[in-house]
Amino acid sequence: MDRMTAPELAVSAVTPKPLGWLAAAPDERLAHWREVLEDDALAAWIAPLAPTHLYIGSEFCEYLMPSPRTLDQALELAADAGLRPVLLTPIAAPATLRELAGLLPRLPDTAEIVVNDWGVARFLLEARPELPRAAGRLLCRVLKDPRLSGPEWAHQCRHSLDSQPLRALLARLGLGRIEIDVPLLAESDSLADLPAGAGVHLPYSYVAKGRMCRPGALARRGPERFAPGRPCQKECLSFSAATARAGADGDAGTRHVGNTVFGRHRHAVGEALREAVAAGRIGRLIVPGERL
Amino acid sequence: MNIVAPISRIAEIAPLAAAGAHELYCGMVPQEWVGTFRIASANRRPGGNLGSAAELEAAIAAAHTHGCTLSLVLNAQQYSDAQVAAATDIARAFVAMGGDALIVSDPGLIAAIAEALPEARIHVSSVASCRNASGARFFGELGARRVILPRDVTLAEACEIAAEVPDIEIEAFVLNDGCVYEEGACHTVHLPGRLGGPICLDRYTYDYRHRDGRPLSATLARRLAANDEAYRKWLWYRFSCGFSTTADGLPFGPCGLCAMPALRAGAIAAVKIAGREGPTARKLASVQMVRRIFDALEAGADASEVMRIAQGLRPSHEHCRTGYMCYYPEVLTANGPAVAPSALPQAGRD
Repeated sequence: MDRMTAPELAVSAVTPKPLGWLAAAPDERLAHWREVLEDDALAAWIAPLAPTHLYIGSEFCEYLMPSPRTLDQALELAADAGLRPVLLTPIAAPATLRELAGLLPRLPDTAEIVVNDWGVARFLLEARPELPRAAGRLLCRVLKDPRLSGPEWAHQCRHSLDSQPLRALLARLGLGRIEIDVPLLAESDSLADLPAGAGVHLPYSYVAKGRMCRPGALARRGPERFAPGRPCQKECLSFSAATARAGADGDAGTRHVGNTVFGRHRHAVGEALREAVAAGRIGRLIVPGERL
Repeated sequence: MNIVAPISRIAEIAPLAAAGAHELYCGMVPQEWVGTFRIASANRRPGGNLGSAAELEAAIAAAHTHGCTLSLVLNAQQYSDAQVAAATDIARAFVAMGGDALIVSDPGLIAAIAEALPEARIHVSSVASCRNASGARFFGELGARRVILPRDVTLAEACEIAAEVPDIEIEAFVLNDGCVYEEGACHTVHLPGRLGGPICLDRYTYDYRHRDGRPLSATLARRLAANDEAYRKWLWYRFSCGFSTTADGLPFGPCGLCAMPALRAGAIAAVKIAGREGPTARKLASVQMVRRIFDALEAGADASEVMRIAQGLRPSHEHCRTGYMCYYPEVLTANGPAVAPSALPQAGRD
């Protein structure tokens, strides 16, 4: 892709990970992306891009909000690598908002925040209005059931971000950008008519998340084992599961990580994404910085 | 504290009102919506809806005749610009008919309805995933009068939110909704059963791995298998104990009856019975169960007494002991089991 159409590239991680590969030789960088993305073609496409942003934290779980110490480490890592830091925030329970309030003073003016909760958006408007903020993929809702594959579903899988009242609200809350997942179907035209600077997550789209966490129950017992709001040992950082349904060959690949189901984009969608990037319709690509 | 119950047919209104529901809610999908947008529903449910504006108008009249309010659900996850206009038209007609409240999830649609119909009473659907007081204030500033909390909140969280926004009514789940994932964060469809049904029925096989590439130890693999087994058990409870009922038709499944004293003490304005698409008998039995607890509270029953009554209704002591049927399992810890653990079978223990 030429320099004029090259989007920003954000690398996302729940906790800080070494970024030594950034300065590595091209073949080493390619190897890094192959390992993380598990897709040779995608790795070859991403590898020449220079990362611009480091996303830290989680959009899916309140227990994965970074501690102040972890956030400081991430900020230092980003600064050393010349990346702009971006704090990911989830749907927030009351306690999550209090944690966020404690983190905000640590964020430099160069930081951004991705917002996935209207209450968080309102809170930030008062607490750190000067920081650039984006509406995350939990606010920008799109149908993406990985079990759907036929073109008859395409029109339902299109985003609804043309809604003028919604766009007005995003503007009112200072949410200057939006982020979505890579669409489920290439035919769905989900990458058309996006607001300027839109970010797209790949190669996984999140499909569903619960507050109940199956791996999080591993160390718990009793009536509250699968209930929300209980202590967590963050097992999701250690392991995940590739999941499949018997006889469902048309399914997009899925992976269960913690409380979240992810679907992997299909080949044709990757092609559509590359075309959208080439046409300058995508402002930022966001890829995982660690293997799911 | 009001009891909120679903209807899908006009004939359900009189019995549900007689059983003790204070507020009713329904969906309605005009044929024009289906034709224009090629989507089966304006509210995420292809079934369980009234079929026309005329039916909706009759339902409003029937609800009022029987002393209930009627709310209309417009709670798709998000509406396009054209859909916002069409949904606002539906809302306008509903208000003109004398309908009482609109249950809406998309903030854009809430804003549009509030601007077009400032007299409309708007309830924020649980699909909006409003889980904190700041969010409730945001929706209140848009014009909402009530926030229906998402299903998976703790009692402490629900009561904290209600205390922080006393000018906004808070509604919490009390019976029947069994989705595993958060409604507002689940971007799937309920496929026909032969194609897989709801995704959270979890017809998946799991192949675990360490994310850093290390092989799983045999010990961890065994623990994961045991955890999966416990999860399957929890899932059975979550899906209404295999969608079972007592011989009298009282439904098993997700339940917050024992938590009603705490919810009332926490100034929760209403408790919600889910299941628009369910059979009439299930809705009726559900209202009767919630009303039994409501009446006990009115009569002065304390939390322990309510728990005794609630667990004896079906009865469901064995199921209740597991906590897997509870929306708010913390009440088991707070109030203690209603029956001696020694009297319970092994089924619910892990």
